[in-house]
Amino acid sequence: MSLSFLPKDMNWLCRPCGVPLEPGIVELRYLGNVFKVELLVCPKCSAVLISEDLALGRMLEVEQLLEDK
Amino acid sequence: MLYRENMEQKELREWEARCIQEEPPLCRAGCPLAVDARAFSQAMAKDNLSAALAILEKGMPLAAVTARMCEAPCEEYCVRGNLGGAIAIGGLERTCIRLAPIKRKRLLLPPKSKKVAVFGSGPSSLTVAFDLARKGYPITLFHLPPAPGSWLRDVQESDLPQQVLEEEIKYLESLGVRFCSIAAIGKAACDGSGCDAVYIGRDDEVAEDLAELLAGPDEQTFALARSGWFTGGLCSQDHVYRFITDISQGRQAAVSIDRFLQGASLTASRVLPRKGRSNLFTETSHISVRLPIVPADAAGFSREEAVEEAGRCIDCQCLECVRHCVYLAEYGSYPKAYARRVYNNSAIVKGVHQANTFINSCSLCRQCEVFCPNDFSMADLCLTARELMVLEKRMPPSAHWFALEEMNSAGNEGALIRHAPVAKASSRLFFPGCQLAGIRPEQVLRLYDSLCGQVPETGIWLDCCAAPAHWAGEAELFARKMKRFSTLWGEMGSPPVITACSSCLKMFRENLPEMPVRSVWEVLAEDSSLQPTLESSAPLALTDPCTSRHDEVTRNSVRTLLTALGQRLASLPMSGEVTECCGFGGLMENADPALARKVVQARVDQSEADFLTYCAMCRDQLAKTGKPVVHLLDLLFPDIAHPASEQPASLSLRRVNRRQLKSSVLKRYSPQEQPDMLPWEDLSLAVAPEVAAVLDKRRILEDDIRQVLYRARQRDAYLVHGKTGNRIASARLGEVTFWVEYREKQDVFRILRCWSHRMTITGEQ
Repeated sequence: MSLSFLPKDMNWLCRPCGVPLEPGIVELRYLGNVFKVELLVCPKCSAVLISEDLALGRMLEVEQLLEDK
Repeated sequence: MLYRENMEQKELREWEARCIQEEPPLCRAGCPLAVDARAFSQAMAKDNLSAALAILEKGMPLAAVTARMCEAPCEEYCVRGNLGGAIAIGGLERTCIRLAPIKRKRLLLPPKSKKVAVFGSGPSSLTVAFDLARKGYPITLFHLPPAPGSWLRDVQESDLPQQVLEEEIKYLESLGVRFCSIAAIGKAACDGSGCDAVYIGRDDEVAEDLAELLAGPDEQTFALARSGWFTGGLCSQDHVYRFITDISQGRQAAVSIDRFLQGASLTASRVLPRKGRSNLFTETSHISVRLPIVPADAAGFSREEAVEEAGRCIDCQCLECVRHCVYLAEYGSYPKAYARRVYNNSAIVKGVHQANTFINSCSLCRQCEVFCPNDFSMADLCLTARELMVLEKRMPPSAHWFALEEMNSAGNEGALIRHAPVAKASSRLFFPGCQLAGIRPEQVLRLYDSLCGQVPETGIWLDCCAAPAHWAGEAELFARKMKRFSTLWGEMGSPPVITACSSCLKMFRENLPEMPVRSVWEVLAEDSSLQPTLESSAPLALTDPCTSRHDEVTRNSVRTLLTALGQRLASLPMSGEVTECCGFGGLMENADPALARKVVQARVDQSEADFLTYCAMCRDQLAKTGKPVVHLLDLLFPDIAHPASEQPASLSLRRVNRRQLKSSVLKRYSPQEQPDMLPWEDLSLAVAPEVAAVLDKRRILEDDIRQVLYRARQRDAYLVHGKTGNRIASARLGEVTFWVEYREKQDVFRILRCWSHRMTITGEQ
């Protein structure tokens, strides 16, 4: 998995922290595999945004690859 | 890749042996050289002369001579024989060899040390020289003067031009065959050859003093009593297939000589001529008579005539199962090859399991077993492989996830088992099945009422029969479910069970043999009060669910009911025992939704008429194509009928319907008795139809969305867009993380988009 998956629209704020999400490194796991990727993250509470494009695109692809589906 | 022994080799061989598709066609089985006459005819029909010639060269020694001289015994076996007349395979061979002259490549083989002497130069001797020289044996061929060829020299020029014979002999020389002229083929010459093996062709003039030595050759190996001596070319001059039989004997002798010189057994694993024996089955009922093409010129077919004549070839194949099954056709092969694919898939330790989706896509409908002359079962093959995958923890987690979730939901929040209100026991139990409960809750209640009208002590049992666990290969889970059913049923006094779903019926019959179970349609068909009210309605194409394939009683009961109602039926070719799956069976729809769509489309294309079914799953699967589909209950209860053109119930609605049915049944016991409301259940959603369609496709339920939103509200944790104010909330529910983009206004959540993934985010809750 390549590293950066920042959405085109970065204008998201975290509730309740009230601060804008920022690019940050997040760990994703599936079937014993770990990936470090760059996503939008809340700098205070670490809430993450996984966009629709990412979930149904590259992420699904990798999931299916790891599943041997 | 790494492989391991899982599905035993022996097991694979047993599977493979059942599929006869690789058996030779009868023409090939009838050829003494086993030339692939089917492939040859097919190539000729396509006017592909070079491919046709390649097939002849592969099967024949000295093809330029053999193709011209062959008497074509294959034609005797041709399946087209009774459908207009056998294909003129001999004539086509001659046309091919005339139009496409052989271009021989020079073979450079390392010479072997053992030498062979060939006596005589008839067809059998030339064959021995040809076959063994091409293996690198130094050959000396002793012929009578003036030149090699024996009786082939006397064949008329129009049948075998002498120049062709000369060129084939030159080719043998180019392979290193040494030609020696001798005055007589007698004992002294043969004894004195100094070679390691001797072949004496009887299709040439042989001296009297060899008679004793040549007596009684072995019928299979053509070995003589003297070690290292072989013979052949034994046909009498008036034998109808003299030439090709002598060639074949030469070939068999050459095989023996090669084995002898290598010190191998002459008989072990030897492939013998089949003499027309083959297990290949070819269905011909759909093939119409086509008469042979008569060449305008007596000398033989023109190229165009040859194409036309070869075009009459039936291309004998079995493919009985593949012809009728979209799934088997989709993967471009046939069960024997599929068994190997499944075997290889299970043997891989490290590497990509390419056949996982293939294994998980079979609908397990068992139609192939009915069509196969040998009962090959793709269902058993795939189910065994799935169970192994689950056992070894290599089943893709997402493969059957949704179906198993549905099963769990129907078995928990949708489940109920009770005696009839005020009754203290049940003399029978009605098990409608979770799919019918999901799409037609009000009709289930009506059906239950009419059963209670017949027998007041009819209890009700709402649950999923666990078919999804069975189909998913979850053998252990399935066994647990069955045990639980057995206990529950025992607690109800072990009464007979009536189901409204053929899958439930099959699961119970096959796995709970102690439980007497039959179909609700059988019970209703015994009711003589039905009125013929539907005589004027349009005929409907009745599709039997695949799980009723071997349940003739239920299928007949449905027809009895329809006759009583006066409903006319349109013909549907694949019905009854050969009925087809709607694409849901075996969880095909979970493993490969696109394939399931093809399957269901192919099914509805089989009739112009609207469809009629008595399976809830078939009703909604078939309706996905836009085809009007009626459920039998719509005919039985016209006042609460659903329109035939109604779109399938969404996944979310099915859940709601099951809960509602349970709630309606419980109200009959006491108005207060209601299942506990889940805290998120009354969250109010607004979902536009186009959003709902996407949700269904992505298998995201409104229940899932409500849970996500409920949590977001409880924790006051979500994301807000800086400009639009749209919100995004997410939550991990079981194996999946769900995301919802929405707007909230006066306690109504307007859903904009939803998506999900299976990966986990470290720290996620």
